[in-house]
Amino acid sequence: MKVTVKLIGPLIYEGGFSEKVVQLPGPMTAGELSAFVKIDKKRPTIITRNGRAVANSDTIDDGDRVVISHIYSGG
Amino acid sequence: MNGWTGYILRVNLTDKTWKKESFTEEFAQKWVGGRGFAAKILFDELKPGIDPLGPENKLVVALGPIAGIPAPNTGKVVVAAKSPLTGFYGDGNLGSNVSSQLRKAGYDAMIIEGAADAPTYLNIEDDKVEFLDAAEMWGKGTYFGNEWIYKKHGRNAGVLNIGQAGENKVLFAVIRSLEGRAGGRPGIGAVMGSKMLKAIVVKGTKQIPQADPELMKKLGIEGLKKARELDQKTGWSKQSTNAVLAWCNEVNGLPVQNMRKTSHPEAHKIDGERLNDARIATYGCPSCTMHCGITIHDDEGRESELDYENIGMLGPNVNVFDLKKVGSLNYLCDDYGLDTISAGAVLGFYADAIEHGATKGDFKFGDADKGKTLLWDIATRKGEAGNLLADGALKAAKVYGKNSADYAMQVKGLEMAAYNCKSIPGQALAFGVAAIGGHHREAWIITFELKHSKRESYGPEKAAKVIELQRIRGGLFEMLVACRFPWVEVGYELENYPKFFNAVTGLDWTLDNFWTAADRAYSMIKLHYLREFPNVTRKDDYPPAVWFDKSNADTEGPQKGVVLEYDKYDSLLQHYYDARGYDKRGIPTLETLKKLGLADEAAAAGKHAKLS
Repeated sequence: MKVTVKLIGPLIYEGGFSEKVVQLPGPMTAGELSAFVKIDKKRPTIITRNGRAVANSDTIDDGDRVVISHIYSGG
Repeated sequence: MNGWTGYILRVNLTDKTWKKESFTEEFAQKWVGGRGFAAKILFDELKPGIDPLGPENKLVVALGPIAGIPAPNTGKVVVAAKSPLTGFYGDGNLGSNVSSQLRKAGYDAMIIEGAADAPTYLNIEDDKVEFLDAAEMWGKGTYFGNEWIYKKHGRNAGVLNIGQAGENKVLFAVIRSLEGRAGGRPGIGAVMGSKMLKAIVVKGTKQIPQADPELMKKLGIEGLKKARELDQKTGWSKQSTNAVLAWCNEVNGLPVQNMRKTSHPEAHKIDGERLNDARIATYGCPSCTMHCGITIHDDEGRESELDYENIGMLGPNVNVFDLKKVGSLNYLCDDYGLDTISAGAVLGFYADAIEHGATKGDFKFGDADKGKTLLWDIATRKGEAGNLLADGALKAAKVYGKNSADYAMQVKGLEMAAYNCKSIPGQALAFGVAAIGGHHREAWIITFELKHSKRESYGPEKAAKVIELQRIRGGLFEMLVACRFPWVEVGYELENYPKFFNAVTGLDWTLDNFWTAADRAYSMIKLHYLREFPNVTRKDDYPPAVWFDKSNADTEGPQKGVVLEYDKYDSLLQHYYDARGYDKRGIPTLETLKKLGLADEAAAAGKHAKLS
């Protein structure tokens, strides 16, 4: 299963990439995908799949675009 | 009295006089400082209907009980006046050494009255006030003015100044400080210019009175250390506020092409990663723990300080996706003393109006070079277009006609910040009910809407969130006066602020005391609005019509076909009014005003308009 993962803000430096296609070993939830790309589990994040916010427990599907971001508050 | 100096400096530019006036502890505790002081003073001292650009208007510079004391991000100043852009109370905050210097000079606020008959700057040193000749600075930009002042008065002086935009009474001219900070979006710089006041310079040598200075010193040092650690731990400063640009692009909230579109394939060229790559220096305000100003070289080799709002509005909102060109537009705004948000909104509106045949001109989306020329025309009111656009998008739209007001992206005349909310109802409400017009400063709830609610919801949870944030961001931080960033962006605990307040004042306040004070300040500003616009309706709290227009919806992507819905937005507005204790016009009821201790102010407003 392949998904495109985009990291936002400081997560880029934590995960070591900005955007890439990731080959997953099997089905994953959004939270598991975040850990798979080495984002600290303790860090509060907001995850979107194909432009819509999802819960960490939501399943990711083949071909999805997943964006993981630090939670911003509008300055 | 501890925490407050207990004095206000009143300066009259017409007759070049000044006096030191005391205020009571009751006044201090009721209005706290900053926005609270300014809203009350201007309500009491301004007659409704006065010309905001006439000598009757007053400019207030206000500080709060922790302003200027070393602690996380306390180097802020509130500037306020009757706004020439919106026609009622307007304010803003900016980082400046004036915060500590004015308090050390012995004042918590300054009221500037009248108007000088020649370019003037004020030099305040403790109990001395001088009215000095500013002719050499007049006609020059803010960078020149700042350096000119530093050469005469030293680099540690607190400085507030204006550029050509303020001198020429551009209705969205700001006040500037420290060569990179700006505040007073609703034309407070134009009010300063109308008084022929080019700059204010402040130095103080006194001690700021504190109930327990040793405790405050301990809390302040611990707070600075903790807030810096949180910034480093989260990595927030890597991209500062501009990290949100890429995220807005992903979730269809980016202002593209005068907010016609919500994302753009070239947004990555101006995002936080590119900004960090191009960084040549980083700047912050006094006592800052997480610098938000990232400078780059613009396309003419000048150092331009950028953050999200100015990139968002001078970049995608006018279809410019070259970071150096965005930097150049931003540099010019900063030098001329134009508000970058309104400038981007006005340029976007002008290109849109030309495209839609509402007016004629040779400016097109994406033309940064013509944009530079237009910014000068606006700052100097040169030519028909420059002079009209200098009055802001709404006033220009009223002249252009042809329904162009529908896409003048403002609320109550103040152009909205860089979030396209046609499919984000709660943030649209936050813009609609912001105290001074379309500002993001008071409540920003987009991540809450997406993560903890449903994006398409118009439910009461969103109105409640807006109020919660207004109390914190528009209340507590604007009255104390301090920057909200350590709390809002990296999680520095809110409970620290009452501790600071109690250490300096000797009082025993909790956050609940601040919420009451915040509600009082919001109601005070609403009474300003009612007094100026007695025929107020709830429609005044609506965002622009284009956000409700199906023909303006996204044509692809996850928000395809989605725009705001009138009946649902109106019900969301009603949730807000009900929770606030406001009537159907969005004005506090008499009962609410009495509960907040505003019976006298209600009686004063009641002479001009009906309260319910």
